[in-house]
Amino acid sequence: MRALQIVKYGDIKDSLAFNEVSKPAVQATDILIEVKAAAINPIDKSIILGNLQGLLPIPFPSTSAYDVSGIVVEKGDDVSNFEIGDLVYSRVPQEQMGTIAEYVAVTSEAVSKKPGNISFEEAAGIPLAGLTALQSLEFAGIKANDRFLIHAGSGGVGSLAIQYAKAKGAYVYTTTSTENVQWVKELGADRVIDYKTEDYKTIVKDVDIVYDTLGQKYTAEAFEVVRKGGQVISVVGPLDEETATMFGMADYKLPEELATLSAEKDASYKFIFMHPNGAHLAEIKTMIEDEKIRPIVDTIYPFAESIDAFTHLATGRAKGKIVIKIN
Amino acid sequence: MEELIEKIKSSQSLSQEAEDYLYAISTKKNFTKGEVLIRQGQHVKNIYFVTDGCLRSYCYDKNGKEHTLQFAIKNWWISDYIAIHSDESAKLTVECLKESEVVKFNAKDLELMLTLFPEFERFQRKILERHVVSLNKRILNQLQLTASERYDLFVEQYPAIEQYTHNYHIASYLGITQESLSRIRVEKVKH
Repeated sequence: MRALQIVKYGDIKDSLAFNEVSKPAVQATDILIEVKAAAINPIDKSIILGNLQGLLPIPFPSTSAYDVSGIVVEKGDDVSNFEIGDLVYSRVPQEQMGTIAEYVAVTSEAVSKKPGNISFEEAAGIPLAGLTALQSLEFAGIKANDRFLIHAGSGGVGSLAIQYAKAKGAYVYTTTSTENVQWVKELGADRVIDYKTEDYKTIVKDVDIVYDTLGQKYTAEAFEVVRKGGQVISVVGPLDEETATMFGMADYKLPEELATLSAEKDASYKFIFMHPNGAHLAEIKTMIEDEKIRPIVDTIYPFAESIDAFTHLATGRAKGKIVIKIN
Repeated sequence: MEELIEKIKSSQSLSQEAEDYLYAISTKKNFTKGEVLIRQGQHVKNIYFVTDGCLRSYCYDKNGKEHTLQFAIKNWWISDYIAIHSDESAKLTVECLKESEVVKFNAKDLELMLTLFPEFERFQRKILERHVVSLNKRILNQLQLTASERYDLFVEQYPAIEQYTHNYHIASYLGITQESLSRIRVEKVKH
């Protein structure tokens, strides 16, 4: 079968190549998906560039990407929750990475039936960003009337987090650039801040939850706008101590600046590590079918133009997901 | 099963032998929400008579979106008749939308019943006529009526169905987008 593979770390164009590889083997708990569409995320780009080789080293060549939608064509002996012919979507686990290919084998625990009211291309764009948003906001316990700030409302995670927070009844502030203000408003955000013309710190005050999807200075600034006793949740900032311990870093300490800010505000700081989860994808499926969440697709590339999809991703200017139609 | 026998008897006489045979070839089955009775691509043998609940038959297009062909509530029959008639694999999936009770028949047993008990032919013909009428109406409605008019008829035909269906089930039955369905509903509230 044909697959888009990472052949070395480095520039996107030099490091990706189409290769003929064998169909993945199906273990007892796996299903084999005939891929209809795959989607790419910032992490895929970081892996190719070699920015994550310490944390997520990969052998060469490795097929790229994690998000997928398609049809079940084979299943392992221990799989009882899926049948051949089921239409599914998944964020595949690290060890099964490789969705830009004609087939991918995935542990059935990471898979859910796809929402029936959206296309394969739309469904492929959901899993990684959707799981990140759902797991972050579930951890935060977001509820009706909570005041919530999410940066980068037009991003993959941002656009889904806004809709999830609105479905839970929260009041949502978000930031985006001028050209995205209108459509981000249409996602349901209560106050869309144009970061090019407005300073969000003068508008957002004492919110219950800040969701940091940008990192750098924004992680520290979150403590300026969060209320006393509130929560800062990050998917890009430094690890928190509990998470670091989980990853075996026993002596890890939260950077001093953040520790001080967190103590001063009596506000908690938590890093969320997205994990693949079929049951969570099934929750998102229901929300999509109930029209609480809708997928936002920027561009659909044909399989043969997958490398262009990555150069598009690298611009950081996509409004919604970049999807690759495989079959 | 009693419901079906009663329904037959309301329009014609039924001999004790025919009644016994019907009992012998039928199986009462209960399904929970989400269970699949017929799956696209598989071989189809059975026809279902709904005694309680609601089922839906649908297919996928090449983009993976679902299109609803039929809803079956109490006293309706449902299966993939294209597959049974042409002996091909299923084009449709039949799923349960809420807790349902059905009577299951093997299509071949029903066929044999017609040979054994000619009086049953009349009943079978009535079912088919009703089915043809319903399909003809559905096609004409699709050709002649506005989406809003089709929605009115739908609500009239399936009064309580919105409690246990997703919006996209209804939108994909009416052949409109979910957004159009939402717009139509808002308009109805305004008037």
